[in-house]
Amino acid sequence: MDLLAHLEAYVAVVDEASFSRAADRLGIAQPLLSRRIKTLEHHLGGQLFDRSRRQVTTTAFGLSLLPYAQDVLDGVQRLRRAAGAAQRSAARTVGVPADCDPAALARAIRTGAEHGITLAVRELPPRERAAGLDDGSLACALVRCEPENAPLRTPLGLAGAPPAPPDTPTPAGVPVHLEDLRPRRGSRAPRHARPVLTLPEDQLPATQDRLARTAARAGLPESLFRPAASTAQALAETLAGRTLLLCTEPFAARHGAVWAPLFDETLHRGYAVRAARGQAAVAPVPGWLSGALAASVGAVPHTPGAANPPEDPRARLAALG
Amino acid sequence: MTAQHTGRPEAPRPRLVAGDGTLLRTAEAIAADWAVLGMRGSFLARRLDTGEQLGFDIDDPVPLASVVKVPFALVVLDRIAAGLLDAAQPVTVDPATSSVGSTGLAAFRHPATVAVGDLLALMLAVSDNAAADALFDLVPPEETDARLREWGCTDIRVRHRMQRMYECAAGVSGDDFTLALELAVRDEASGRHTVETLDPAHANAGTARGLVDLLQRVWQDEIARPAATAELRRLMAAQVFTHRLAGDLRTDTIRVSGKTGTFLHLRHDIGVVEADSGHRVAMAALTRSDRRAALAPDIDAAIAAAARQAFTVLRGR
Repeated sequence: MDLLAHLEAYVAVVDEASFSRAADRLGIAQPLLSRRIKTLEHHLGGQLFDRSRRQVTTTAFGLSLLPYAQDVLDGVQRLRRAAGAAQRSAARTVGVPADCDPAALARAIRTGAEHGITLAVRELPPRERAAGLDDGSLACALVRCEPENAPLRTPLGLAGAPPAPPDTPTPAGVPVHLEDLRPRRGSRAPRHARPVLTLPEDQLPATQDRLARTAARAGLPESLFRPAASTAQALAETLAGRTLLLCTEPFAARHGAVWAPLFDETLHRGYAVRAARGQAAVAPVPGWLSGALAASVGAVPHTPGAANPPEDPRARLAALG
Repeated sequence: MTAQHTGRPEAPRPRLVAGDGTLLRTAEAIAADWAVLGMRGSFLARRLDTGEQLGFDIDDPVPLASVVKVPFALVVLDRIAAGLLDAAQPVTVDPATSSVGSTGLAAFRHPATVAVGDLLALMLAVSDNAAADALFDLVPPEETDARLREWGCTDIRVRHRMQRMYECAAGVSGDDFTLALELAVRDEASGRHTVETLDPAHANAGTARGLVDLLQRVWQDEIARPAATAELRRLMAAQVFTHRLAGDLRTDTIRVSGKTGTFLHLRHDIGVVEADSGHRVAMAALTRSDRRAALAPDIDAAIAAAARQAFTVLRGR
């Protein structure tokens, strides 16, 4: 017996003092309502209603049980509300890098709601996003990976103060090669290349090492790329013309800096959308969410780069002139 | 630039050597310029007539790479001048057994027979390792070292042939240049050298002061036999590498006779600058860097800039 349905029928008939109005209120047929009342009376061992007169009246037995029936139904109501609240507070937290496109994130949240999933977005530095997946505080996240093997790649470039200073190697928008940053010979040229600041999103040890190596190979000091203490400091020094800034094009545009992409795609940001460890098997990141997250970091389709040809190893290890 | 800004620990300040304030400021400026590029090491420039000099860290022993070919050549030339060795004596160098290198006989693919005197020319002009080690077969490192002791060159040590540099680097890295370079850079921080030929206690080694002393004595005929010093000066003037000390000095009126040395993160050059005006300055630039790259044009240019600054300020006295 569905006790709750039967108690609902009982309380409705008491309220309406009529079997037909009670059936209307509950949206069920009157014979079903009558059957439920009979079943309940049998279950409880007594008449709840006096049907002998034209107007249905509640018996003393029926009135005495009413508060208990009401209490059970209220309890169920509270249970349902609690379940709903718990469902809402179990919003899935998504870890994203700083300075994502808010419109793309809003799209993700809206689409989530349409799928009955409440999404919460948290801006975190790269290491905390990876840690959040491990400890379960994040349901999914955009994590950094090597750009060569990354499903998503966000182009990075160099931002500088507008208008383009005279020693800027290439006009805005044309890809920059690191070798172009080497100071030119001649007395009027600056003696040293301007340092390039990096944002917290690029302050991972592996990324910094990659930047230092690539700078060295381009004939520049390993200290060319320097971690900025904060985003504000990085922007201030860059807009003042003292440094360049490694960042994305939307970031540069938002802050009024001129920007040119780095030609070397191995220096761009690589991302993958990952779900928390425990949930990966049950709930892979849905396509609509991956798509929105890719858009939020301005990711472009992956194009694998060409590898450098190997060099003759022996002669380089000898003493040279 | 503060250490906090560059994100790396502050290097110990160089110990400056200079006759007066002007020279001191020049030495300071050179050291600061080098630091920006991640270079450290010794620099010394000395006017041969007055002995006035400027530089820094001039007594730090440094592993020498190809710069060692200069004191070695002097010992070989002195033996020739003494009649103990014939400059015309033919020596056959076979690529199957010769030393590794990228220039001169070391780059040959077929056996060649070259006279002792021309092995010296190849060794100094193009830094030929095969020529150098063919000469070490005739005048071993121990004998070279002993002769330098007799001449009072106590700051220069010759302990091994050129091939040993390749063997030690390849031994720890398995012919992987990048790995050997990483080890060399990393070991600078710890002071424990995985590549033995980078340890001044076991390698061919020298100091900026010791090498400038040697150049001064060679140019003033105060060491070995005059025929040997004259020939060494002639051969050093024929060096083809001009991207370091000579890089910003050479004109028809200024000649630079020198010898470069490059090995992993080491970039060296020693030489004498001689101007038509009669001024002569001996120099040694012995740098090492944190740069994980085979080529560092800005470091070479910084050595060139240092030489130019030092020569200008010393000549202007």
